[in-house]
Amino acid sequence: MTGWARRLAAVAPPPVFAVAGVDARHAVQDLHLLPGLRLVDAPRQASVLLLAGRLTDQLLDAAVAAHDAMPTPRGVVSWQPDGGGPPRGPFTGAELVGDADPVEVIVALHRSLHLGVRASTPTIQPDVDPAPWRGEGPYGQGGSGMTGGVPYGRPMATREDDRDGLSLDALPVPVGPLFTAFPPGMSARVTFKGDLVHRFELGPSPYDDVRREPDVFLRALTEPVAVAALEVARARALLRWTAWALRVQGLDAQAQRVLALARAATPGDEARVRRVRRWVTHPLVTGRQLRAIGRVDTDALAGLAVGPVGRAAGLIDDLRAEDPAYRELGFTPITGQAGDVAARWQQRLSEAEQALDLATRAGSLRTGGVGAIESPRGRLTADSTPTTRLWSLLPELVTGVEWGDAVATLASLDLDLDELPAPIASRDVA
Amino acid sequence: MTGPSLPPVAAVTLVGALLVAGVYLVAVLDRAMGAAVAGQRDSVRGLLLTPVRRAAALLVTSPSGTERPDAPGWVIAPALLAGLAAVALATVPLGPNLMVADPATGFVLFSAAIAFVMIAVFLHGWSPNAVWPMHGAYRYGAQALSFQIPFLLAMLATALPAESLQISEIVRAQQDLWNVVRQPLGLPLYLVVGVAVSFWGPLNLPDAADLAGGTTAEAAGVTGLVWQLARAAMLVAVAAMGAAGFLGGWWGPWRPGAGWMLAKTLLLLVVLVASRHLFARVRIERFVVVCWAGLIPLALLNIFISAAWLL
Repeated sequence: MTGWARRLAAVAPPPVFAVAGVDARHAVQDLHLLPGLRLVDAPRQASVLLLAGRLTDQLLDAAVAAHDAMPTPRGVVSWQPDGGGPPRGPFTGAELVGDADPVEVIVALHRSLHLGVRASTPTIQPDVDPAPWRGEGPYGQGGSGMTGGVPYGRPMATREDDRDGLSLDALPVPVGPLFTAFPPGMSARVTFKGDLVHRFELGPSPYDDVRREPDVFLRALTEPVAVAALEVARARALLRWTAWALRVQGLDAQAQRVLALARAATPGDEARVRRVRRWVTHPLVTGRQLRAIGRVDTDALAGLAVGPVGRAAGLIDDLRAEDPAYRELGFTPITGQAGDVAARWQQRLSEAEQALDLATRAGSLRTGGVGAIESPRGRLTADSTPTTRLWSLLPELVTGVEWGDAVATLASLDLDLDELPAPIASRDVA
Repeated sequence: MTGPSLPPVAAVTLVGALLVAGVYLVAVLDRAMGAAVAGQRDSVRGLLLTPVRRAAALLVTSPSGTERPDAPGWVIAPALLAGLAAVALATVPLGPNLMVADPATGFVLFSAAIAFVMIAVFLHGWSPNAVWPMHGAYRYGAQALSFQIPFLLAMLATALPAESLQISEIVRAQQDLWNVVRQPLGLPLYLVVGVAVSFWGPLNLPDAADLAGGTTAEAAGVTGLVWQLARAAMLVAVAAMGAAGFLGGWWGPWRPGAGWMLAKTLLLLVVLVASRHLFARVRIERFVVVCWAGLIPLALLNIFISAAWLL
């Protein structure tokens, strides 16, 4: 019976929990398109831990915790899609893929684990409490009464006044940096009161000492680039975000369809993007679920130049409107009104469609090289990025809302933690 | 009064076989629809074998070990959910002479099984002693408290034409006119709430991606497998009762009646499974509001319409 089950298990699609370095996020997202693998949201559901790209110490620590949470049999694969060095720290014995396709190695590892050819990787961390029992207070756990404190280093729910004067249990929970419903790399200390976010304290970015390879938008800061190339890259980035956000909303199959389009979108694909926009933003599909949540005050956004987020709230703020090359194309910024999560989805897909139209008509027009460019997230300069300008708004935006709405709101802002400068990235607000 | 029932061994065998076949069908339908929506091609072999392979992988995976879990509760919760699905399915007659259990209070028994789903889900979230499962458990508490009344009211309307709480009588009363025509609001209400009962697709709030899997975030191995099977089994039971309560059960232009019953169950199963790939996750607050302020009044209206039809 067991042998029969093991042989069947060996040929199942391997459930993979991926830890992506900053240079490997897109490569990991693309793995969703491969039918031979199954990317999962929690390490408990995985048999293979995939370490992709360059991992900082913070990501490495999170990977160790994820590894030890995985059930046996389990194994580790290290993949460097853009080259890079061998796996570090406790993962030096991991299966190494290099920059080749990791699927074959993952499938082979999963198979050999289930057939008993390879041994499961041992637990890395000792199974001990992170801190001793404090031995303080009337019940010894260090809190007040029977609540609060951090016995064994784990925070217990404590009583705090709510905004309406009720005293409810508040539970602080560390979330991220591998929480798949957060923007990649984001971590926060979230204090829950039931399903409500009572307090939201942003944690440090795990990408503080690595930077990805410059894309076309970064190059456009210093040198002229073709408008067509810029707009195709914009459309692809906006569609890639849509695919990720669809997955956060539980629509994995639709996410795969949009991701496939994001990888292949070229000038002339406007009609396909239009069909995707109409379908995805339909009230019955996502529109009604995302309406009237995550609304950002227009005053708070004024002057931030945060691209689709600002334009979805009615702000006409787009560097392209002042660019001679775009004026020649008759470019007019698309704007929305509602400024909520649904408006941001609509805005990005509309802009993706518009970008492909511009690329189709751009010919040999060039732009850039003036130190500022309109990126898919907003105005990008050498010393200021859209994510940096949005960062300080986040805690207030998600405080007092239900957790599902907070997740949808954070997703809708298209945050890229790689854009954070070192002082913010390394700041531990908590 | 109790209708003709099968001998105990045959009854248990039939319910077990129906659940196994139904759960497998849910897995295959889910994979086929997912591939269709994603625009990917899947071979027939992959379609038919992958669910079995995935189940085997869970079967041979070690169970989870969280810190100080409620170990008995963690084992009992999936078994309880599977048992409730079996009880709910057992009350549904397959044909005029093919009934596993047809008590005079079949409607009450089915409703009781549905009500106890909340206990199973809450226990499943409570037992791991971890944040996301607990969060999912409380979510389902809010979800279940909201859908219980519209679910009962939508079902209750089907008992009016039959003047009986016996499921076979509810089916017999549809010989000339199915309830889906007599009570146009009934089936849509039932399906919406049925998705919520089975915490599937857009109403899979306790095991959602924004909770890293919610009550299943810490589940692995056999208990995780049984939980998934039990959830699919509940979907089968909900579809079967929908076929009996609204689509005329075994009635059809040709014999055998059981064939019609299975075909109608399959139709509803396709609709329920498809919802996972078509509609985004519903916000819990909106669902609660819609249930109390929308579905309950609509379900009452449905009962009034049904009663007026009888006058």
